[in-house]
Amino acid sequence: MARTRSKPTPKEATPLLATSTAKPIPPSVENAPKLFVLPKDTSKEARIVALDNPATEQSSRYLFCPEKGFYEFTRIGAPKKACKSWLITSEKRDEEGEEADEEPLLGTGYVSKTPDLFVATPIDLLFLILPALAPKSAKDTKQLFLCLDDHLDKLSSSSSQHWTNLLAQYPTLRSMIEGKMGAFCDTVDAGDEKMYRLSHEKLFQIIVKKAQRICDRGFPSSMEEKFIKPALHIPVMSIKREESSLTNASEEPASQTLNSQASSAPSTVLDSQTSTETTETAATNLSTPSTDTPLTTPPSIPPLLRLRTTLTYILTTYIPPLLHPPLQSLLATSTSPSFEPLNTHLATLSTLKAEAAALRSISDNISRKRALDEEDEEKAAGREEKKRKKEEEERKKKSESRGVRQLKKADTSGMMKLSSFFTKKG
Amino acid sequence: MLEARMQQADVLKKVVDAIKDLVQDCNFDCNDAGIALQAMDNSHVALVSMMLKADAFAPFRCDRNIALGINLSSLTKVLRAAQSNDELVIKAEDAPDVVSLTFESAEQDRISEYDIKLMDIDQEHLGIPETDYAATVKLPCAEFQRICRDLSALSESVTIECAKDGVKFSCQGDIGAGSVNLRSRQDVDKPENDVIIDLSEPVALTFSLKYLVNFCKASGLSKHVKLCLSAEVPLLVQYELLNQSHLRFYLAPKIGDEE
Repeated sequence: MARTRSKPTPKEATPLLATSTAKPIPPSVENAPKLFVLPKDTSKEARIVALDNPATEQSSRYLFCPEKGFYEFTRIGAPKKACKSWLITSEKRDEEGEEADEEPLLGTGYVSKTPDLFVATPIDLLFLILPALAPKSAKDTKQLFLCLDDHLDKLSSSSSQHWTNLLAQYPTLRSMIEGKMGAFCDTVDAGDEKMYRLSHEKLFQIIVKKAQRICDRGFPSSMEEKFIKPALHIPVMSIKREESSLTNASEEPASQTLNSQASSAPSTVLDSQTSTETTETAATNLSTPSTDTPLTTPPSIPPLLRLRTTLTYILTTYIPPLLHPPLQSLLATSTSPSFEPLNTHLATLSTLKAEAAALRSISDNISRKRALDEEDEEKAAGREEKKRKKEEEERKKKSESRGVRQLKKADTSGMMKLSSFFTKKG
Repeated sequence: MLEARMQQADVLKKVVDAIKDLVQDCNFDCNDAGIALQAMDNSHVALVSMMLKADAFAPFRCDRNIALGINLSSLTKVLRAAQSNDELVIKAEDAPDVVSLTFESAEQDRISEYDIKLMDIDQEHLGIPETDYAATVKLPCAEFQRICRDLSALSESVTIECAKDGVKFSCQGDIGAGSVNLRSRQDVDKPENDVIIDLSEPVALTFSLKYLVNFCKASGLSKHVKLCLSAEVPLLVQYELLNQSHLRFYLAPKIGDEE
């Protein structure tokens, strides 16, 4: 049954021959097929292109459809320890004869060693063109108004050649980009041409809107568990566990599935995201203390935290690093979603946690020490007792004469005790 | 107050030597009749009973019953300091902490005095009834000792068979079998060689040789040893001392698994 692809062994063949006819397993293919989940109803022109990742500037694969726009690939993998693989077979043709078909279907199937699944998810064009509008280095902060063509030239001049081809091939793309540019750029009319310059405020507003849309649906429970609950966990003063430090460690494996990159550059994005996430929590934990002790989490806090977590995520995953400082400062000073209450709340929490930790370490010390002492005493007493017994035994042994010792070896089997012959005297 | 003077320290020395290999600590019960001792070995299959009658001492004074709990090894150490011809004086208070032993050498005008700390010893006393034994064999100590020693080389246990004309000690061991037959005899010239068998009915019993060899350490105390046997009762090995004093050993017979 387990034998795939091999021909059934002839019945009359001797066992020796049978082994020789067994087909070896074909060698694994160098460039193994990958499993994709692609969007429905994409046009025939849709293709996979290599474009620069906006955040890392590394060439990554995107799916481009002239009608629907861009899709990024999200790799969904199994944990490394779980040994999974894909079995890919052709479709079943008819229901009847299912039993009979089973074997050949399996036989012609393909087993993919890596259990990865690439899902194409829509990505806003904005993120892809952002690198062209972002300053190339930290120095030239002064941004100039440029016409669309100049921007597109800049885009095409980036490492990947595909932009040029795409722009040449699909005139619709140009209008798509133009429309997008208007949304997050300051514009100036220069004659019949529009000039664009990146506006941090507009960009920020767009990102906030996106983040809000994500948050509106709520977080999946696993993310809630990871990012929201620990951060808002109010320490119980007596039995306290420091959980903020936990986020750091547990983040790594789970975010593998979160990996939002095409196969070319998965780990870097993952890393940057993880690290910033943790530094963010760490930073909030170390803020100034406040006073109110019987603390409960106000209902307004979790949504705010979710929003900020999402913003951080978008920032680290899709925004060029050079744009981070202005956007971060906007985030800090923004009033429309004001993070002030969240900041104060987290600050309070962090002081509480610090206190609890300090308290715990003290009480831990005390209780452990006492336990140790008691144990020690008990042990010491036990040891004393043992020693005493041993000494006594030794003394007894010493006082035993040789004859007594030798008599111990005497075989007294079949001999009854004298008390069974003689009665005891009162 | 106990004060007992013994003409020869040797007697006590030999008695203690004989029983120190059977028991470790024991009570010397002193009353106006004399000094008695009864103790069992660790396995409780053998019992030693000593009686030093008041007549064996001169003078003997014991106002109250006193139990002197003494470790026999300690006593041996002290008695080693005595010479066999020394006079021995045992002294103790009415409620004593120590027993005092004084050795007086008449020839050398030497008096040595030793105190032994006493112990509290819990010992059960067994009432030993006077028994009419089916067979009583009186034989020279040296002979008994030799038989026991020789046979113990072969086996763990010896079967003693008493018949009208003689007594047979036999054993079966890994390397073979051995037996010693003693006919009853009476030597007028050398009464110390007498073998006297007093038999009411034949009896055969098996005993542990290790214990018998141990009893034989008392051989120096007397010329003759008396073996008293009856079916299903302990063997009595008795050494007569001067002045009706005696040292008795009892040993439970081996029943069931005879070799």
